[in-house]
Amino acid sequence: MGAASKRDKKNSSTSTSPCAHLRSAYHNCFNQWYSEKFVKGQWDKEECVSEWQKYRDCLSEHLDDKHLSRFLEAEAAFGSVFQEGKENPVENSSK
Amino acid sequence: MAGGSFTFVMVKAYAQEHIYKHPWERVTSASWRKFADPENKRTLSHILEVDTLNRKLDTLSGKLYTTRALTIHAPGPWFVRKVIGQDICHCVESTVVDAQSKSMQLTTRNVSLQKFIEVEEKIRYDPHPDNPTGWTICRQETSIRIKPLSALASMAEKVEQRCAERFMQNSVKGREVMERICKYLEAESSGMAL
Repeated sequence: MGAASKRDKKNSSTSTSPCAHLRSAYHNCFNQWYSEKFVKGQWDKEECVSEWQKYRDCLSEHLDDKHLSRFLEAEAAFGSVFQEGKENPVENSSK
Repeated sequence: MAGGSFTFVMVKAYAQEHIYKHPWERVTSASWRKFADPENKRTLSHILEVDTLNRKLDTLSGKLYTTRALTIHAPGPWFVRKVIGQDICHCVESTVVDAQSKSMQLTTRNVSLQKFIEVEEKIRYDPHPDNPTGWTICRQETSIRIKPLSALASMAEKVEQRCAERFMQNSVKGREVMERICKYLEAESSGMAL
């Protein structure tokens, strides 16, 4: 039994997620906005909107199996940190 | 919790504190970057996927709300695997960052394997009272609850122990990664301040 092969399976440096590129683009934009604006007191404007839009559209399209609906149900069940009027990334969770 | 019946609640809770000698802004920035950095991915190899599910910025109060989905590789000992049958655990992380009062709180819970176990981890980052502009205090609380009557209940102690060990290990790795990112961000910012 090779422990090495187990490690290879776990440590894929490239993600298998189809939305990985859009996710990176959004996260990079977010990280920059967070450090350079948000924590410095500039929270008056929503930023990285188009990156977020593209990323979440991809998630809606691809993460439609057991996972996304489960995550969203769980979020609702936990009494989400979001107040009323929260945006839902998926209008209809496709089954 | 009815009077007259004996309710055996199997919960283990752990608390940890850590001081980062970095300002709150930098430490919380590091927290967002923890899972994405390729080098750090090797250290935190148990984290397979992280996706942002939802986010909301309250532009009046300066509060940022985020929900993320984490897919974690959590192999258990053979006797757990027999019962649960899988090595992957899905979690939801809810975060509130208050930029005005400078506090960040993350709550992570498992959404899969709920028949067997409930794990909740809360992490808070606040400016350290002894040095509010220079240091950050991180308080972490983890609770593990094996569902009574679940197939795991008979081995609850072993499972809790294994979970606790795993969480401690992951906390240490997490702190390593955080310190690394903080140093990197510090170097970056002093480079820019020429």
